Amino acid sequence: MIRYTVRVGETPPLKDPIPPSFPPLRFRLFVWSACNFLMSDIQTNPIIKAVGLHKDYGEFHAVKGIDFEVMPGEIFGMLGPNGAGKTTTMRMLSSVSPITAGQIFIDGLNVAEEPRKVRDRIGVVAQHDGLDPDLNVHQNLVTYARYFSITGKAAEDRAREMLEFFGMDQRADSGIHTLSGGMKRRLTLARAFMTRPKVLILDEPSTGLDPQARNRVWEQLFRIREAGATILMSTHYMEEAAQLCDRLVIMDYGKILSRGTPDDLVMEHAGSLTAVIRPTNGSGPAVRSKLESMGKDVRERGAALVVHGPEELRKELGQIDNAAVRFRVSTLEDVFLNLTGRELRDE
Amino acid sequence: MATLAMRTGLDFRPANVYGVWLRHWLAFKGGWLVDSTAIVIEPLFVLLAVGFGIGKFVEDIQGNLSYQEFVAPGIIAANAMWPALFNCSWGAYQRMENHKIFETMISAPVNLSELAAGEIVWGATRAAMTTAAVLLVATLLGLINSSLAILILPLGFLVGLVFGGMGLVYASIAPTQHSMMLIFTLIGTPIFFFSGAFFPIASLHTGLQPIAWAMPLTGAVHVARGLSTGDLGMSHLYGLLYMIGLASVFYPLSFMLLRRKLII
Repeated sequence: MIRYTVRVGETPPLKDPIPPSFPPLRFRLFVWSACNFLMSDIQTNPIIKAVGLHKDYGEFHAVKGIDFEVMPGEIFGMLGPNGAGKTTTMRMLSSVSPITAGQIFIDGLNVAEEPRKVRDRIGVVAQHDGLDPDLNVHQNLVTYARYFSITGKAAEDRAREMLEFFGMDQRADSGIHTLSGGMKRRLTLARAFMTRPKVLILDEPSTGLDPQARNRVWEQLFRIREAGATILMSTHYMEEAAQLCDRLVIMDYGKILSRGTPDDLVMEHAGSLTAVIRPTNGSGPAVRSKLESMGKDVRERGAALVVHGPEELRKELGQIDNAAVRFRVSTLEDVFLNLTGRELRDE
Repeated sequence: MATLAMRTGLDFRPANVYGVWLRHWLAFKGGWLVDSTAIVIEPLFVLLAVGFGIGKFVEDIQGNLSYQEFVAPGIIAANAMWPALFNCSWGAYQRMENHKIFETMISAPVNLSELAAGEIVWGATRAAMTTAAVLLVATLLGLINSSLAILILPLGFLVGLVFGGMGLVYASIAPTQHSMMLIFTLIGTPIFFFSGAFFPIASLHTGLQPIAWAMPLTGAVHVARGLSTGDLGMSHLYGLLYMIGLASVFYPLSFMLLRRKLII
């Protein structure tokens, strides 16, 4: 029952303030929320899902139980030193390495059960280029597409499109041995993208490239993502991870040490500010104990000491005896070194 | 279920075999001039040197057959072996270990059974090319006596299947690139010389004859000679069946060994 208060001098409203609706509001709300529920389910379904993933090579445990999910349209990074288990994980994802334990789902398919269907849907760029030196640029693309049943005019059109997209249309007839490192890498990206895969798996896509070539590759990865693909990549370049990845995991010794967006990881593990303290000759231990007496978590980084913390660090450590202090913004590299330690790998 | 299908070979895409074969054809077209010299000129040197050089000093063999007529089909069959063996052992090893092309293929939806089939069939194609070239020259030189000899062409293809399979088996177990040489020196060369291409097996020591007969090429040489002279018997059928048997053992063995090596 709607009651109107009519004041003197005011015209009463001609219509109900809330017009009666059909279908009724309650029904519309129900439909709307149901749609939302369904849509949200689609949107939040991971396109890659790894559950309790293990890989043993005989006695050696390369991957020791990792879980992660990658959402559609994401660039997801795996960051870790050499031997962390990144390549092994990616080989399991692309079904060229049997899974010791655990499960991987890509686009809803169990990788162990339907490896071929998975490989139909993904593009892989391995660390080595795997380009065919006996074929030219164009032939490399077309030959690869044929394995995905893309042949004839469709393959030709796609190859032309890819060469244009990756800025290599002038080099279609070039031999592989005449290409620079950056061009080879772009060609492997073009090859992987020839088949318009839903998921691209890239193992260290910019290793061994100069900064120009690396930036070019990054630009193209963004464009691939814009075209709707999901990208899972491994890297040990911090800047690459920080620039490219929406979310990432940091791995070491076959385990995931931490995960999140690059910014969150930096805030969580290295604070917003890093103080780099260079003690003058011989005063290292003294400076260190001074900092520790202030309750700081001191880490060695080369010849310097670093302390992470919030902005207040600037005031607190502004004046330290026998040491030069410099402040800088914390980076992913700090997170990485804090989590994975300083010891060298591959040795 | 799908893995079961994979293991039993039910999940087999013939189009991928053609894809792998086509890759080889494209690569071959890229450098065909160099490759064709290996295909044609080398066997011709052998034919001329052995047939007409050494042949001058050899009396007629097996009744009314001149040495040239005896040795020509042998050389044709024996020379079909080399391109297949080379492509599927040394060539395959290069593609697998140095250029990582096999890895690229199996990251794409190509199964190793299809990859191996493509490799071996290409090896056999190369073998058939050599066979055709040498057969043509031998015919022009008047060394072929029967029109049945046209069947030496598919026989050359079969030789290619056998030695392609054998080469691929070896490539998948060879520990280093250097050890790839062994298949030529320890396996290829003795087979080439002792499978009855250049002299009758009957002239070997009786203890060695069974070994010579067991060699994978002997059957082919025997059949080729039969086709060339037009004088065929049951022994030729056995030779043929032996070759087919070998090819059908080497092929599955090759992709099982490749799986052991690459899917790790």
